[in-house]
Amino acid sequence: MWSFLNTGSSFVWDSLRDFAGSTGIAGLFASMGWGNVAMICVAFLLLYLAIKHKFEPLLLLTIAFGMLLTNLPDANLYHTELFEGGHVHWDIFVANAGLLDYLYLGVKLGIYPCLIFVGVGAMTDFGPLIANPKSFLLGAAAQIGIFVTFLGAFALGFTPDQAGSIGIIGGADGPTAIYLTSMLSPELLGPIAVAAYSYMALVPVIQPPIMRALTTKKERAIKMQTLRPVSKLERIIFPIAIAVIIALLLPSATPLVGCLMLGNLMKECGVVDRLSKTVQNELMNIVVIFLGLTVGATATAEAFLNFRTLGILVLGVIAFGLGTAGGVLLAKFMNLFVKEGNKINPLIGSAGVSAVPMAARVSQIEGQKENPSNFLLMHAMGPNVAGVVGSAVAAGILLSFLG
Amino acid sequence: MLSAITDWGWSEMLWTALISICLVFIVLVLLVLIMQGFGVVFSHRPSKTPVTEKQPLLHEEEIAAIATALKMFRSELHDRESEVLTIMSIKRSYSPWNSKIHGLTQMPDRK
Repeated sequence: MWSFLNTGSSFVWDSLRDFAGSTGIAGLFASMGWGNVAMICVAFLLLYLAIKHKFEPLLLLTIAFGMLLTNLPDANLYHTELFEGGHVHWDIFVANAGLLDYLYLGVKLGIYPCLIFVGVGAMTDFGPLIANPKSFLLGAAAQIGIFVTFLGAFALGFTPDQAGSIGIIGGADGPTAIYLTSMLSPELLGPIAVAAYSYMALVPVIQPPIMRALTTKKERAIKMQTLRPVSKLERIIFPIAIAVIIALLLPSATPLVGCLMLGNLMKECGVVDRLSKTVQNELMNIVVIFLGLTVGATATAEAFLNFRTLGILVLGVIAFGLGTAGGVLLAKFMNLFVKEGNKINPLIGSAGVSAVPMAARVSQIEGQKENPSNFLLMHAMGPNVAGVVGSAVAAGILLSFLG
Repeated sequence: MLSAITDWGWSEMLWTALISICLVFIVLVLLVLIMQGFGVVFSHRPSKTPVTEKQPLLHEEEIAAIATALKMFRSELHDRESEVLTIMSIKRSYSPWNSKIHGLTQMPDRK
């Protein structure tokens, strides 16, 4: 009897000790460093910003939760070693992969950003751009920030492909930034995605001081001519023509631009309403969840907590600012060559940095501060959607040089 | 033949940045030209909808007269009700005053 109790007590004790050793609390003390604790705090901060202040909540919330999951001890959801060296280690993948590793394949293979672009295309009205094609130029000028930051990042010691990924933050287009970074420098995916989406949420804070500094009161009060109506046929031909032209000129930009135009064609043709609604809502929402979670999961302590991240955050805001300035300055320059009645309000130039439709709204708000009867929103939507095409083109060019 | 990207120096970086921004502009300028071409074609297409004749511009006094007439016409309009009254439902909340059990004489229970 005594020996039975003795053996039983040691068995129970061993079992409980093994169980305690397998819990996350034990892992917290055994394997987790200060870095993981700091990353969990960063995840909490991002969750707070997303929920309380509604900073791009759709993506920031999922990114923050992915960050939280990947930094919790022994969760085994994401393994950086499976993607080491910039490619998938298929030989050990199935034996070791966790849930987020499987989902991350969509980022790694460039699937999610393209699917998001299908949804973005279905939600975008290219009418203002078709009515005023000169808006493409403002969209191009706003990409200057990308290339100046590309050089700035190189000066700070980043490699050329890392510099390209950091520069693309200036395009203010999350899917494009994630697509290019996953191709060129996947090790920077976490910090770049967080920087891109944080700055996109901060567009109303970052842009107005630059816009006001570069324009006069008179320029900000310019009223623009009403845009011409755009026929349905033009709206249908536009996405087909752009997809074909971009594919012929710049094949590396085709995945992004092609998907964007596919979504737009679904919306404009009017015969596949079900598909259009699906890509705008269900597909988009599902992909956003997968993309946010997996991009957040790449933000491990080793990848995030270093001076490189600080450099990326600083360079990102510089890229954003330069892009804004580029668009405004080109609009001012274009005004030198047009007659009095056809002047462009330079405030719409800042909308060339993508960030649809936030940047266009900022142009509208700033314009109305000078002249409450001035409605710039539709005029600003032209450069805004041109910026989406422009940043995808810039990403394609960088990919063809650096990929 | 391009050197490996890892060996790039400032010269390669500057050229890449310069060529890239030029390419962005060239591609988008090309799109501007093509879209303007489309615009010209579509704005000259004969419209299927019947063309309405342009009305001559109205004189300011005529506009004022029309506006005054509209104002006077609208100021004389009144809200017209349907004049049909229908009791849709009656809500009878409980009260001892309308309770049947309190209204009837309680008969003694004889056994």
